Amino acid sequence: MRARARTLLFAAGAAGAAALFTAGALDLPHFGGAVHPYGDRAVHQALRESTTNTISSVNFDQRAFDTIGEELILMASAIGAVVLLRVVGKEAEDQGAAHRHGPAEVSDALRIVGYLLLPVTLLIGVYIIAHGAQSPGGGFQGGVILGTAVHLLYLAGDYPALQRLRPIPVFESTEALAAGVFVAMALAAAGAVPALNGAVGVEVGCALVLLIGKFFEQALLVREPPGGTS
Amino acid sequence: MILQLTVAVPVLVAALLATAGRWLPRLAVDVAAVLAVAAVAALAALTLTRAPHHAQVSWLGGWGPATDVGIPLVADPFAAGLALITALLTLAALLFSWRFFTEIQAIFHTLMLLFLAAMVAYVYTGDLFDAFVFFELMSVVAFALTGYRSEEPSTVHGALNFGIIQSIGAYLTLAGIALVYARTGQLGLATAGRALAGTGGGHGDALVTAAFVLICTGYLVKASAVPFHFWLADAHAVAPTPVCVLFSGIMVPLGVYGIARTYWATFAGLVPLRAIAVLGAAAALLGAVMCVLQHHIKRLLAYSTISHVGLLLVGVAAHGPGALAGTAYYLAGHAGVKGALFLAAGALLNRHETVDEHELRGRGRGMPVTGATFLLGALGLAGLPPSGLFAGHAVTEHAAEELGWWWFTPLAVVASALTAGAVLRVWLGVFRGTPAEEDPARDGRDHGGQDHREGGHEDPETRPTLRTLPWTMVTPGLALLIAALLAGLIPGGPVGAAAAMFTDRDGYAGLVLDGRVPHPHSTPADPWTASGVAGFLVTVLLAALIAVYAVRRRASERTGGEGVLARAAAAAAGRLHALHSGHIGDYAAWLTAGVAVLALLTARF
Repeated sequence: MRARARTLLFAAGAAGAAALFTAGALDLPHFGGAVHPYGDRAVHQALRESTTNTISSVNFDQRAFDTIGEELILMASAIGAVVLLRVVGKEAEDQGAAHRHGPAEVSDALRIVGYLLLPVTLLIGVYIIAHGAQSPGGGFQGGVILGTAVHLLYLAGDYPALQRLRPIPVFESTEALAAGVFVAMALAAAGAVPALNGAVGVEVGCALVLLIGKFFEQALLVREPPGGTS
Repeated sequence: MILQLTVAVPVLVAALLATAGRWLPRLAVDVAAVLAVAAVAALAALTLTRAPHHAQVSWLGGWGPATDVGIPLVADPFAAGLALITALLTLAALLFSWRFFTEIQAIFHTLMLLFLAAMVAYVYTGDLFDAFVFFELMSVVAFALTGYRSEEPSTVHGALNFGIIQSIGAYLTLAGIALVYARTGQLGLATAGRALAGTGGGHGDALVTAAFVLICTGYLVKASAVPFHFWLADAHAVAPTPVCVLFSGIMVPLGVYGIARTYWATFAGLVPLRAIAVLGAAAALLGAVMCVLQHHIKRLLAYSTISHVGLLLVGVAAHGPGALAGTAYYLAGHAGVKGALFLAAGALLNRHETVDEHELRGRGRGMPVTGATFLLGALGLAGLPPSGLFAGHAVTEHAAEELGWWWFTPLAVVASALTAGAVLRVWLGVFRGTPAEEDPARDGRDHGGQDHREGGHEDPETRPTLRTLPWTMVTPGLALLIAALLAGLIPGGPVGAAAAMFTDRDGYAGLVLDGRVPHPHSTPADPWTASGVAGFLVTVLLAALIAVYAVRRRASERTGGEGVLARAAAAAAGRLHALHSGHIGDYAAWLTAGVAVLALLTARF
């Protein structure tokens, strides 16, 4: 299809879809009303189970099955990334190009900040996971912090150290293991919010490390023309 | 507990394989995966036998209807039947791939198990948002499986198209769910349905219409209705054949299930289904025509899936227990036949490293079982009694006639004849034809369009290429085919009763919320009608004519003779090919246009 025809088709379709959505949205309950049926019920049930953080109660207790699905989506994405990005390694081998990662030119200030922040960030990650049942936070948020914390080492310019700290196979296995533990716990004993939080934290953290790691591998791969001098 | 286990077993084994796959020997991985799938099949079969009499409902985490939060898993007979079909297809696919893919750990098995778990959870869930979550899981796993052989650029292209179009559809579905939630404060299919029926009066207002259209969009993308269908052929052409078995056999029909379930549990009577009928009929026709135009066998089978699933959509849109019973027969038969055909295509790919019909010409003579699969598969697609497709045609046709839908029978006959004719042509060419020394037809046939970049050599999926086909690659296809060809013998009484239960909104709500199995009045489905048999005879005759004509025409093309009519047909075919451009922007534009059409046809002005 020519670009013009495509744009016209899209414009017509988008106009129709927008009209539909607008008409639907006009029938919504008014903004800022006092009636929140689901919210009221969820809070009530969370308090009844003495989980003070309602969001965690919804995530890991009332709708734990949704969270299982989301966990598995994350796990499948991480596995998918491993499948789809394995080509990068092969490319390098096939073409005989050097497979190394570029040197980092980082200022000392950034380096120091990176090293200092690393332990603090890890600690915050653990805290957010551990306190998910009582206060704002939870496994997902904490897991993301944990997963990104490790990569402060990259900011600090120490990619070899990062690679040592982050053996991909171990994270792959741990991620899947945590997902399995979470599913087993959620189905057998939904409501054990702190434990479920922990399992999600580990899973999310590992999956994130895995994903970022795989993307780094691709982004940082330096292709040197074979026979080049540099 | 059975329902939870049906989901948990494959997930836990998948987690185990992902954890320890790199250290386990290959045999252990295969055995663990196959056992897990067999366990799911057994659990689903057990659920199926119990569902008509005892309520198969379980509220996860002990939350019950009294608390008004929480997620129920619900298995009525149709849901349990779909779970069973899913498990059996996965079993066949895993057995077929016993000698496949040695390179990356146990990832293939992990993904297949996750795929199975996602589909079972999607079928069983009684919650709108939860259905969306597992719908997404299903998609994500499907993207990874499509791109599994990512060494080839066309694979990445197909998987990317699939991913983008599916994701856009899924976001629209989520927007629709949000509208329902905002109106009712409910996420359960049953509770939201009760609330909507209470507020909307007799008809749905704009919000209900918008919500239904948006929710349906994602499901229609999955069900590949026109104009949401473009991703399907691209994905099928590049996905490994055992994965295609699951895509065509069950994943795409699950889109139809999603619409049917959402409509009858939540929207029944509030919105008309004519839009679904129109888009489904368009898919049935366009898919059939495109199917005949292909010579890449996996693409050809993919387009036939579009066509047949279009008929399923029309069956659901016919809006009654009778047509739905027919649709169930049809789905079961189609799953088996299409699964067997894809496995046969996989066997060809394994032996000859190509699935191009022209290159394969006459080279299938040493493969009697594969040849028989193609012949019987073609007859099955045409509706050979007592196959599930025959029963489906006959029962749906009867219901459609009562509705005054005179066009249904001709539509079904034409769609089935074209797709069956295309498969029959493959059989004639590959298994009965004589091999051409050098193939002059191949280069001269370019109509433009993308399918040609697919032609030619493909890496075999098995390495090293096997000398003879092992029994693990032959038996699964045969078993699927036989099951499909006998599916019409499933007694009509229970199927009719299940359809009546499925289409009863209050019954569903009673089942979920009160644990009462509804027993609405039902009429048994009766496939053995004279017009049904006559329909098959006409279809198979047309299919044979199409196949023979196609083979003759190819022969005459080689000698250079071509009439005006043939040239016009070729020009039209070129147009159609150009439409299926493989350009993701085109697909997205068609998708938005599809939403607008859906809205126009659904809205009451």
